[in-house]
Amino acid sequence: MVLLLATSAAALLTALGAVPLPAGNARPRLVGLAEATAAGFMLGVSHLLLTVGLGEQEFNTVLGAAAGALYTLLVQWYAGTTGYEVPDDLEPSQPGDSTVVRELLQSSLHSAAEGIAIGIAFVIEPRLGLLLALVLGLHNIGEGLAIADVLDRAGVPRRQAAGLCVVAKLSQVLFALATFAMSPVLARLPAVASGFAAGALAFLVLTELLPDAYRKAPKIGIAGLATAAAAIVVLLEDSLV
Amino acid sequence: MMGLDLSTWPPVLVVAVMGLVTALATGLGAIPFAFIRRIDERLVARADTLAAGLMLGASFGLLQEGRNHGMVQTVIGGLIGAVFIVVGERLLSDREVNFGEVSGAGAKEILLLLGVMTLHSFSEGVAVGVAFGGGQQLATLITVAIAIHNIPEGLAISALMYPKGTSVWRCAGWSIFSSLPQPLMAVPAFLFVEWFRPVLPYGLGFAAGAMVFMVLFEILPEAYESLGRASVGVHVSVAFGAMVLFQQLVG
Repeated sequence: MVLLLATSAAALLTALGAVPLPAGNARPRLVGLAEATAAGFMLGVSHLLLTVGLGEQEFNTVLGAAAGALYTLLVQWYAGTTGYEVPDDLEPSQPGDSTVVRELLQSSLHSAAEGIAIGIAFVIEPRLGLLLALVLGLHNIGEGLAIADVLDRAGVPRRQAAGLCVVAKLSQVLFALATFAMSPVLARLPAVASGFAAGALAFLVLTELLPDAYRKAPKIGIAGLATAAAAIVVLLEDSLV
Repeated sequence: MMGLDLSTWPPVLVVAVMGLVTALATGLGAIPFAFIRRIDERLVARADTLAAGLMLGASFGLLQEGRNHGMVQTVIGGLIGAVFIVVGERLLSDREVNFGEVSGAGAKEILLLLGVMTLHSFSEGVAVGVAFGGGQQLATLITVAIAIHNIPEGLAISALMYPKGTSVWRCAGWSIFSSLPQPLMAVPAFLFVEWFRPVLPYGLGFAAGAMVFMVLFEILPEAYESLGRASVGVHVSVAFGAMVLFQQLVG
């Protein structure tokens, strides 16, 4: 199915992020900027989903968004990733260490939310789903860079890191398919579903991507890249609709 | 509507009065702060974060509106708005900034936000004036909508100003000031409708872009230093959701 191909492509793009991992002092800054770009893309997607939902039913969309944000908060709390920050002076250690596990867990949760968003978009309108897969794929490059950075600092060999990134992203494909399978249910509540995805993604940006970025890169770069990335998505969605 | 028969007034006067009413409405946004007694640092951080959510919500609404007039122009306006904030920041950073009782970074933020809101009011005024070119029924509706939209704008301004030591009256005064361009622009926009219409999406986008950029550039980084990540997420989401709902119900 088209959905399977699209989400797989998006997931694979994450591996791309692991490739250009630069060395040296500039790295935290670059990673931070990459995260900011990823954040911008995600915010753009969130905006798109909100717009779609609000076009249908306003209150339900906001309700869905609140549910999505709350759901993400609960998942973060349960998985112990709330307020979790990778220490700056991370020493190389054995893979399977708690840092690596946590990082991959967090990434999987991200991917799950993204997968849900793509799935919902596909249910609403296939072209919308493709657009989301494209933008989230681009976003994944930035995320992949960030993940690879953490893994590398934890001592995971380069190639293994790239592979682990993709594995973490597989939940995206899974959840996208699962969500799509629920389409009869979702089709009756498109606004709530749309809002849910929007809220979950936005909450991820606010609680994970942005704070991480601010710790690494200058805020003007972050603000600039995030705004630019979101603007690109906004323009893209306009050309679609 | 109010027992006043506006159709007997000269149209220009109606436009001017309507514009003034919308400006005064902004001052209403300061009212909640008359009921707050204690100020501490956490309140400042929370209020700022809520303001961030409100501003993001307002930007969302502005983008929606801009879509009706041309998305590309709106986005371009947005990028200009972002640049405006950067330039403003640079201009202000080398000086000792004092704003009444506030100084330092807080004063800078207030000045920037006021600057953005005031410039944005130009385009709101244009919107009112252009709307009147299309008939009074529609225009009154739009005026009421803009007036009600102004209340959360005043709220956001006051949320930034009050916790840093500005009195409620001053908050209200500055909020109204930021909206004064509305009546000022409404009249010429009404008189020269065809000339002003194309500018509108740039103006809407300008405010949206500036606000989004300011949230990302100033408010959020500070918020993360004072509040936990989850707390920031919740505050922004709640304020954003409230603002979007409000705009949907009113617009």
